[in-house]
Amino acid sequence: MKRELSYGATALKKRAAVRLAVWSVPEILPTALYGVAVAHATDSFLAGQAWQGIAWLGGLVATAFLGAAGSHQVYGRLGELVEPLRDDLVRRVVRGALRTGDDAAVARLNRQVEIVRDTFAGLVLVIRNFAVTLIGVLTGLLSLAPVIAGFVIPPFLLGFAASLAVLGLAAERMRTSLQADEELAATAGMAFGGVRDVTAMGAEEFAERLVGRPIDNQAEAERSLAKVAALRTLCFAIGGWAPLLILLAVGPWLVGRGVSTGTLLGGLTYVLIGLQPALSTVMGALGDSGLRYVVTLGRILDAQPPTDPARPVVESRGHQVKLRGLTFAYGPAAEPVLADLDLTVTEGDHLAVVGPSGIGKSTLAGLICGMLAPTSGRLLLGGVPPSELSTERLAQTRVLIPQEAYVFSGTVRENLSYLLPDATSSEVAQAVEAVGAGRLVDRLGGLGARVKPNELSAGERQLIALARAYLSPAPLVVLDEATCFLDPEAERRAEEAFAARGGTLIVIAHRISSALRARRILVLDGNKAAIGNHTTLLRTSPLYRELLGHWQPGSDRIQPAS
Amino acid sequence: MTMTFGAVMRHGRGWLPLIGITALIQSGVTLALPAVLGRSVDAIVAGSGYGRWLWIACTLVATGIVCSLVDVFAGTACVAGTTAWLRHGLVRHVVRGGPEGTRNHETGDLVSRVSGNAVDAAQAGPAAVTALAAVVPPVGSLVLLAIIDPWLAAAFFGGVVLVIGVLWVFARRTAEISLAYQETQGRIASLLTESLTGIRTILAAGTSRREESRILTLLPELHKHGLLTWRILARSGAQAAIVGPLVLVAVLAVGGLQLVDGRITAGELFAASQYAVLGAGLGSLTGVIGEIARARAGVQRAAEVYSVESIAHGTLPLPAGPGRLTFDEATVVVGETVLLDNLTLDIPGGATVAVVGPSGAGKSVFAALAARLRDPTTGQVLLDGIPLPAVHRRALRTAIGCAFERPLLVGSTIGDAISHHAVNTVRTLAAARATHAHDFISRLPHGYRTPLPRAPMSGGERQRLGLARAWPANRLLVLDDATSSLDTATEMQISKTLTEDRHHRTRLIVTHRPATAAHADLVIWLEHGRLRAFGPHDDLWQDPAYREVFG
Repeated sequence: MKRELSYGATALKKRAAVRLAVWSVPEILPTALYGVAVAHATDSFLAGQAWQGIAWLGGLVATAFLGAAGSHQVYGRLGELVEPLRDDLVRRVVRGALRTGDDAAVARLNRQVEIVRDTFAGLVLVIRNFAVTLIGVLTGLLSLAPVIAGFVIPPFLLGFAASLAVLGLAAERMRTSLQADEELAATAGMAFGGVRDVTAMGAEEFAERLVGRPIDNQAEAERSLAKVAALRTLCFAIGGWAPLLILLAVGPWLVGRGVSTGTLLGGLTYVLIGLQPALSTVMGALGDSGLRYVVTLGRILDAQPPTDPARPVVESRGHQVKLRGLTFAYGPAAEPVLADLDLTVTEGDHLAVVGPSGIGKSTLAGLICGMLAPTSGRLLLGGVPPSELSTERLAQTRVLIPQEAYVFSGTVRENLSYLLPDATSSEVAQAVEAVGAGRLVDRLGGLGARVKPNELSAGERQLIALARAYLSPAPLVVLDEATCFLDPEAERRAEEAFAARGGTLIVIAHRISSALRARRILVLDGNKAAIGNHTTLLRTSPLYRELLGHWQPGSDRIQPAS
Repeated sequence: MTMTFGAVMRHGRGWLPLIGITALIQSGVTLALPAVLGRSVDAIVAGSGYGRWLWIACTLVATGIVCSLVDVFAGTACVAGTTAWLRHGLVRHVVRGGPEGTRNHETGDLVSRVSGNAVDAAQAGPAAVTALAAVVPPVGSLVLLAIIDPWLAAAFFGGVVLVIGVLWVFARRTAEISLAYQETQGRIASLLTESLTGIRTILAAGTSRREESRILTLLPELHKHGLLTWRILARSGAQAAIVGPLVLVAVLAVGGLQLVDGRITAGELFAASQYAVLGAGLGSLTGVIGEIARARAGVQRAAEVYSVESIAHGTLPLPAGPGRLTFDEATVVVGETVLLDNLTLDIPGGATVAVVGPSGAGKSVFAALAARLRDPTTGQVLLDGIPLPAVHRRALRTAIGCAFERPLLVGSTIGDAISHHAVNTVRTLAAARATHAHDFISRLPHGYRTPLPRAPMSGGERQRLGLARAWPANRLLVLDDATSSLDTATEMQISKTLTEDRHHRTRLIVTHRPATAAHADLVIWLEHGRLRAFGPHDDLWQDPAYREVFG
């Protein structure tokens, strides 16, 4: 909670905050004058001086206009405070998402940032109003009869302090309630989206229980929030009602000391029209918007990835890949995906990795490219662990093309030269031609045309990603099922282009035909591995024989190139 | 059952009298207090009888506090209980209605009915009973103003006219609320979504910074639109600052003149000023009406879901049998469209049967009928001689399993998404091994206990979980294009497991691949919702039209 409050406080350390405070001053005036005007007007009327009474009331209206002018400015200044805070949150969410790849960030960007924006603005306004009222009432009372302030203000502040204490109690319950709410939406989305699956499994009771649990938790949280609301009512009794009754109780004594009828009425007016509404508004706002602000901002700040430790920058030589006793597991409790793997991929090699999906082929690609760190064992890229290379050096050494090709809204050229921004037109054209993307680029309207990613098929996206990788300065190319949406012929053309490009090519194969084109083949099977070429593997690897057997000529899907 | 406003009210009936009575008492207190305070002041000035008025004021305030405490608990108990009851009912209707029941509703829309609208609907009872109580203070205030002095009521209305005048001046200048803010926000979100689809490329290329500035180029525009929204709010803020005192001052001025003439006392003037403030609350009555309207809308939204009929199941067990599946003149019509036309077929028990045909031929509808995910409009489907609707739900689902092209996993962990009975039972493990899902599951951070949202899976991995989920079926296994995303190596392994299946179940496999059809004992060839042919693949292969199906 401290973190969220200090985040908000930092946002207030701005010139706009000072301007907001300054423009609040005109609003103090009508508040302060309220009781004074009522007091003097009543006394004037009682004394039979009607016009004097009317004049006091006229003064009240005049200051109200002044207050309105101030209020108008305050909202404008509020925007200058709130919008930079929102900008900062958007920046944080986007930056965090681009480092973690967390899809939930989009929801955070739309909903959570807006909740923080609105609640923060609401809190600033309400707290400011509270301060304006308190100062106004205090000023008014002191000028009217300081002794009344002595009776009214202490219980008011006591009630306010008590309501702040209650806030701590409410925070935990509010968090539970919001959490149950989110969980309800998540489980309901899952169960409703999968009604077909639930029916097919006969899992109706299970689904009802799955969604039922957060429903009951939510109801429980609401009931427990009612207790807090009850405490808040008691706080209001102290801060809002006690001053009124005390004033009545000491009334005779005050009148005995020469306090006029009008002044007594003025005091009551301050309590009823000034203090009571201010207290109930601030209590409601802190209890609702305040907690919502803390909880939601907490979510956003929690989702920020920790800052990367500074990479020790070491120079690499070449792009040979060397694995020694490499083991990798996704968690301490998980079975290792790769165990004790030894492999050397020399410069200029063409290696295909085959095996059933989920066996760890993509994990291996991620390890080689320095996206994942080995659990144990060593992996060297150009003689050094990839984690010790700078991001730029790493990008100049290897290029990874994943299955899900990335195409963004921009021109064709921007998309193609993503990894080599200063590529010449002839270089771009050559890359496009080499991987067989020429017809696609023509269809899109040439290099200058804008791409709408949604309008491309998965295969067309892959062609763009391939041309981009071809253009990259990196000598080591890792295709991670990067051609799975192309037809076998287009796949062949692309792979052959990369083989002829120079440098090293590692292909994580989606189809066995990729293996037949490679110089060497790595067969992953459970956490066993076998390496060799087509001829040796046919002898030594039963899995390889089995994989290949399915695609012998005459089978329908793929005609191996051999 | 049908869901109506009255039905929602009846559910909270235990609490409603209490809520209504406390609300009325609170209104009474609010109305009485200004008069009592005024009398107290008059008594203080007169120097006699103020003890009694003080005592009355204290009692009033205490009563108000007690009522508001009771109100908090009773109101919450009523609304929380009714909300939970409505939500459980909504979930039951969606889940029991089956895939056809809510076909016309988006998932997000259904979720908002349960999460948001149910709370609004649950307010039906309290909103209705407190509506009356809410009318009492403002209307009563005006009556009391008139009783104290008719001129005060006239002044009040004069003040209201002034307020309307001020609002009119302001309203002329109020600009339309800017939609541009939300649009810009949406554009930023879609740029981010786009980048997230390529996150692996971005991380590998080390271009996060570049992506960040590309997405954030729209931020200054958002900032600009944001400032504009505050400026619009500034106008209404200023209005409130003026409108507040206007009515009060009007009443005080007229009351003051009455005071000068000695027609009212100082205490009455004070009471009149308070009634003017309460009377101005008349405007907020629209809030009460709004709450009832929201409750009505919430009930309406719930009623639409409550009207979804649950799938009816019979009570019969399945007799012992091989899993013989019979389609008897089954026809499926939706609106004007005939999806399946008078299909009559007898599939022998224990056979592996491929279902092929061009897209739109009715393959998935056929699979859904076989698994009783929908019922034919006319005709019937029988398993081992028993019509599917007559079979008891448990018996039916133990006998039939169904896997889909895009399975949606339901559960909190991977384990319960496969089998909702318990985590890591022998059955779960056996199913996961048979479908080659065990290997990748055991490599997840917490194996079978990995929470679903934290287990990002490829389409192929999802399909394997979907297969594992359907695997335990003991009589009929329906695979609706359920292996299409698997790579060739895995698909090969799974089809091997399927053909070597020792359970001798009937297997119905919707497929686009000729190899799968070739491995099946029989092929059902559908076209335009009609049975084109039923026979072994090799016989059908002679027909060029059949070969064309596989493109």
